[in-house]
Amino acid sequence: MRETPEAEALPSSPIAKARLYLVFLLFAVGFGYVIVGLALRQLIQTGDLKAQYDTQSRRVVLRPPSRGLIYDRNGYVLVENRIRWSIKADLLALQPEIHRKYLALIKAERVRGAPVEFDKLQDKARLDVLQGWLDRVWYVIDEAQPNKRGGARPRPVRPGDEPERRVNPADLRKHLRERRALPFVLVTDLAFPGSGRALRPEEGQRTIARFIDQFPVNGPISLESDIVRSYPHGSLAAHVLGYIKDTDELPEKVNELADLPMDNLQKLQYTGKKGAAGIEQTFDAVLKGMSGWELWTKTSSGYNKELVASNPAQQGSAVNLSLDRDIQCAAERALAQIKDSKGELLPGAAVMLDVNTGEILALASQPTFDPNRLADRVTQVYFDEVDGKGGWMNRAIQGLYAPGSTFKVITAIAGMRHGIVDWDDILECGPSFRVGARDFPEHDPAGYGQVNLEKMLAVSCNVWNYMVGVRLGQPRLAAEARRFGLDTPLLTHVSDLVNGSPYELPYPAARTLVVPDAAYKQRIGAGPWTDGDTANSSIGQGYILTTPLHMACVAASLARGETRTTPSIIHDPGRDGRHVGAEPIGLTEAQLTALRSGLERCVTEGTARTVRIPELPYAAKTGTSEYFKNGEKAHLAWIIGYAPADNPAVAFCVLVEGQLDTSTWGGKTAGPVARDMLTTWARKAETPTGAQPASDCQRK
Amino acid sequence: MDKHRQGATASYVVLALCAVVWVVLPAAVHRFAQEAFAEFQAPALHLAGKARDLARFWELKSRDKEEILAASRDLARANAALELQLRRYEDIRKENVRLREMLRYNPPPEHLTVVARVAVRDSSTWWQRIVIRKGSDDGVRAGCPVIFSDRVIGKVAVAHHTTSEVDLITSPNFRCTGFLEGDEQNRIVLVTGAPGRGLASGRSRVTAIPQDYFYPVGNAPKVTTTGLGGVYPAGLILGHLEGGQRTTQDGNFRESSLTPTRDLFALQEVTVLVPKYPTPGEILLEDQAQKRLDELR
Repeated sequence: MRETPEAEALPSSPIAKARLYLVFLLFAVGFGYVIVGLALRQLIQTGDLKAQYDTQSRRVVLRPPSRGLIYDRNGYVLVENRIRWSIKADLLALQPEIHRKYLALIKAERVRGAPVEFDKLQDKARLDVLQGWLDRVWYVIDEAQPNKRGGARPRPVRPGDEPERRVNPADLRKHLRERRALPFVLVTDLAFPGSGRALRPEEGQRTIARFIDQFPVNGPISLESDIVRSYPHGSLAAHVLGYIKDTDELPEKVNELADLPMDNLQKLQYTGKKGAAGIEQTFDAVLKGMSGWELWTKTSSGYNKELVASNPAQQGSAVNLSLDRDIQCAAERALAQIKDSKGELLPGAAVMLDVNTGEILALASQPTFDPNRLADRVTQVYFDEVDGKGGWMNRAIQGLYAPGSTFKVITAIAGMRHGIVDWDDILECGPSFRVGARDFPEHDPAGYGQVNLEKMLAVSCNVWNYMVGVRLGQPRLAAEARRFGLDTPLLTHVSDLVNGSPYELPYPAARTLVVPDAAYKQRIGAGPWTDGDTANSSIGQGYILTTPLHMACVAASLARGETRTTPSIIHDPGRDGRHVGAEPIGLTEAQLTALRSGLERCVTEGTARTVRIPELPYAAKTGTSEYFKNGEKAHLAWIIGYAPADNPAVAFCVLVEGQLDTSTWGGKTAGPVARDMLTTWARKAETPTGAQPASDCQRK
Repeated sequence: MDKHRQGATASYVVLALCAVVWVVLPAAVHRFAQEAFAEFQAPALHLAGKARDLARFWELKSRDKEEILAASRDLARANAALELQLRRYEDIRKENVRLREMLRYNPPPEHLTVVARVAVRDSSTWWQRIVIRKGSDDGVRAGCPVIFSDRVIGKVAVAHHTTSEVDLITSPNFRCTGFLEGDEQNRIVLVTGAPGRGLASGRSRVTAIPQDYFYPVGNAPKVTTTGLGGVYPAGLILGHLEGGQRTTQDGNFRESSLTPTRDLFALQEVTVLVPKYPTPGEILLEDQAQKRLDELR
């Protein structure tokens, strides 16, 4: 039998065979190693490797939710969301064009013989391509009129153009560094494409329509919509509603948003919004909603490639405020009528409360601001403009003022409760009252003669209060003021709607309310307390400081015959009318009747007679206190009260800061604001529910 | 047998080579080939359209005299009524012109009208296109709106010499703004085509419907063109909102399907509205848009 050539080729010596087997063995071990390794990865480590792959090749993009709406007590929208159309460029889709441009730029540099700086050329190529597309967008949305030779003429970009006509290199660099995966925003808001100029609504609509109707649908430029906050009534209740600001913070509990291994995945977030002031800030947790998410695969260069899964954002919950849109509007409009001798607005505040529930129907402060101008981007110019006028402060809850003669009701109550004076006692009130070595003057140089409680309240007699106050002494006067809550912060949160926020509105005057006494005067280093200080305090002057909201609460408490009113800015139809710390006022029926009668006489024949409303009898107390502005004396005009006089339903307080060259008086200056609020309230109260008259508070 | 196999292999190789050559050819060659194909098949499309017209003609011709007499009597009456209406409209037009002059109102862009017969209806669920028997030789340009009576049919996607391709309003390539009937604030909604699912025909979608937009139950409100975008004249009907409106999950808006007012594939004739001057959007659709933009500057 003949052997095969293969058999002939096999080594015959044992050593050679051993070597051959060794080689076979080595191959077998090596091959086995590979097989076992592959099996290990395929069968045992699959889960870990898949998780690793997912982590490295996927990312989550978070889309901020739209915020909840804010309504007034009647269901009218005070804050809503407006659709914003923005134009974005898909950088991944533009890559080939950018690359072509890049190569062309390199070629041009080489032809010029200049040294090629590749990084710079890459940036320039990207910028040029994006600028080219932005030019096309502007070419379509600009209102250029067609010329007769065929075609609208595009306008070249000029250095002085509004910023949105040019791609900002710094913005692009930042985008590539931080959000390369997301589309680059070419135009932020199509309705307001040039941030430097204001468009009328119809112009904005035309711009949107031009882009949608004319720009090619397919391509790297996409139209995206998102939501921006809109305050349809402009500056109405701006201090209450507040405003929002941008935030790039990831939402709380971000890892629980989706059934994904979120803690290991890279997360990117579109810029969201959070409350920065007012209700927007205090109720941010309620209003903000829940972010949506998109799971994307990514390319090696970091762009988003394919959408794997997504879940839309969920809108935040609504908040129902106790404000009445129409009364708020009337208050702000009336405040806006008060001007100084140069025609400048006088700062002021107005508050109206529901007497029984304490719900705030109006809370106005002037000067004010337009939150729409803060909803997207705050310009330094606008910030300075509002700041220069003192418009950021909510004077109704943050402004601290001497209450002036409106405090006399508290002096009178304290006097009667402590038996210093009774409702029918008649005091002889001359042109001044001497305390120590100083004469404290009456505001009428002739004096008021014989004055009882009712007359004191009607004409706002100072001397009556000096006498009662000095006899009472400061400790008892201060105690009475504290009994009415003048040292207690208001608008503290009573329900559990917002966890962790003790206030319904941020920044209420909590720490600097002053009900002065000897210890206070010592503390501020002003020396020992004197009877002169007591006389001053008795007419609401001197060291005492309070807010318009506190004085509105005093008026509401008086109307109910109690000491405390718990105000609330949140509407709750089930509110039971109980007020924290309230107790009966502590006067006899006759005393209380006389007190109320005096307040009514103030309107019918006293200091508030110029703002009488014939068809609505109401009770009021005016006040004109002094304060120092730039080292000189100016006046604060006050009016507090309630209506209707016989069955109180609403209480109010108005304050106006006078200027040095402008005379301001409680009845004359602050009174018209109260009258307008009351007239609006009465008009609404008379109309059956469901047949409300057409509002003159229009959307802007 | 071997020869057969070799031949088959060679043909596969040639096919693959052709595919590779086609892929690497410059874009201009691709474009030229597509254009050439469109122009090449244009006579066939014309012929098919004319044959259909002829068939329709003979169908009408076969009707009996009584029927034709009745129809012509009805037409005469309708004609008389329309004559009266025409005179009334003429008065209104004159009044309109007078008021515009008084107010110095800048009129919207004028349109020339080109009436075109439909040559081919592409029932593909992907493309949602029709081909019409008028092209750039007749003044039709890409981007021009296409209507039937007062209803929007679509927009010219490509204008060849003698034919044009029209994206219907159900095409994913169609997009325009609309107003909702009864919305006093005249807020813009977005009308887009949406590809059909599976074998279903395409449909249109209306998005960005405000949450506080309400209309009487039982009425399907009209969606009309806004006239703000410089392409479509105002007031043309895009369709009717279908009953079921869905609130988007973010809670801000609602969206709904749009029912076109006509069976888009039963159309025999349409009108192309050609703006007197090209709109910026039309220029962007040109092949050399950037070059053209630079020239215009």
